[in-house]
Amino acid sequence: MVNQKKLLIFNSKIFYFFILTFFLVILYFNFLYDFKREYISKAYITNQGDNTVSIIDLTTLKKVKTLKVGVAPLGITILQNKKLVFVGNVGTDDISVIDAVDDVLIKTIKLNTAPLSLASNPEETEVYITDWFKNNVITISVEEMKVTRSSKVGKTPSGITFNKKHQYKIITNRDENTIEIYDKNYNLVRKVNTGKHPFGVFSEGDFAYAANVYDDSVSVISLIDWSMYEFLVGAHPYNVRVHDKLAYITNTIDDTLTIYDLDSKKTIKTLDTGETPENLDLNIKLNLLVITNWGDDSISIFDTQNFKFIKEIKTGAQSRSFGDFILQ
Amino acid sequence: MKKIIFALLAIMFSSSALSHGPTPQKVQESVSISASPEKTWDALKNYSEFNKIMKVRSFDDKKMKIKYGLIKKDVPYSDYNAQIRVKKGANENESIVQWTARFYRTYKLNPPIPEGQDDATAVAAVKEIVGPGLAGFKKSVESN
Repeated sequence: MVNQKKLLIFNSKIFYFFILTFFLVILYFNFLYDFKREYISKAYITNQGDNTVSIIDLTTLKKVKTLKVGVAPLGITILQNKKLVFVGNVGTDDISVIDAVDDVLIKTIKLNTAPLSLASNPEETEVYITDWFKNNVITISVEEMKVTRSSKVGKTPSGITFNKKHQYKIITNRDENTIEIYDKNYNLVRKVNTGKHPFGVFSEGDFAYAANVYDDSVSVISLIDWSMYEFLVGAHPYNVRVHDKLAYITNTIDDTLTIYDLDSKKTIKTLDTGETPENLDLNIKLNLLVITNWGDDSISIFDTQNFKFIKEIKTGAQSRSFGDFILQ
Repeated sequence: MKKIIFALLAIMFSSSALSHGPTPQKVQESVSISASPEKTWDALKNYSEFNKIMKVRSFDDKKMKIKYGLIKKDVPYSDYNAQIRVKKGANENESIVQWTARFYRTYKLNPPIPEGQDDATAVAAVKEIVGPGLAGFKKSVESN
């Protein structure tokens, strides 16, 4: 009798309904867990004054680790898919490679020249580095982790970025007030005059943007017809990022950030930052803007939806992070 | 003998490496003053000693800070920018005055760097104006 009753339960629809619900709940929690794990985003801050990189978790807004790298780290780029961070040390003339999963230093690549800024191609097979003193662009093979090429460019190459759409390497040459555009085969496509002392550079779609330190302006260059215009920002702008028709510019002497609307061609907001804000990067998913404050040894974090200040976090000495520094 | 030569070479290379590269130098010092931030800020705005060595770029009453550039040309540092700001102290009759200077060495080219044009020389020269400058200002405010 008892056995028969048990069998009845196994045959009932309610029983299967419970089993199904049970699995669905487990699946849901698994998904939530994975989602949370996937959404780790970190900012890697090069501290030129104490030869370290501060790692900030952007989901918890806390500093999670400090790594020793070479001497006077400045430039940085992140291979988002390979989860590798490349840091340029201008004091030891080498590149520190950090594994962004475990946050450990995995390799040091000797350059024998000062690396200023870094960028990679979208396939993440190569990293390009501006060689400030010798006027070259150095290419590193990511697979081999060594220098594979060195090509002459303009004088004091500073910022470098890669335009995905046109497959261009774009470089600002600070002391000759130019921006240079190179194709895949390192042929010069165009050399355009900018304002005085172009430093930070950004490019997306059909445009390139350069921050002109001595002119307090940003040059906007069309990669289609090479036309150009400039707009004024605060004193001594260092770097520029563009997202969703808005340009964000760090003004190092004003301790401010300019937010400029590229459609209406107007400055829509000026935000107070820490002392000497140098570089900036965005996390689109989390709606965060992160700025390095060289003078305060910190980063300032803002909400890109309402431009509100969220938090200041202490880093090592002389935080700079020239380049893309957020693991998205 | 070989060891000594290697050691000397190592020192040579490491010191040239350290002063290599486009690295802005930073001197940041602060002093605590027995006066309210408002009083200190008023005194700072009217203090003429700093204006003898630096040119005022801008005042910010709200944030209580002054931005400076450089006047003198014959100094062993270049591209000098500084700010002096007044912050709250431990109590309402105390304030902190902080001076941050950002500058470069005078030699901007590839190493070897000539003597007297390196980072260390530049930092030492700026420290010579910052430390005594703040001490002088403190004395001036507290004696009033």
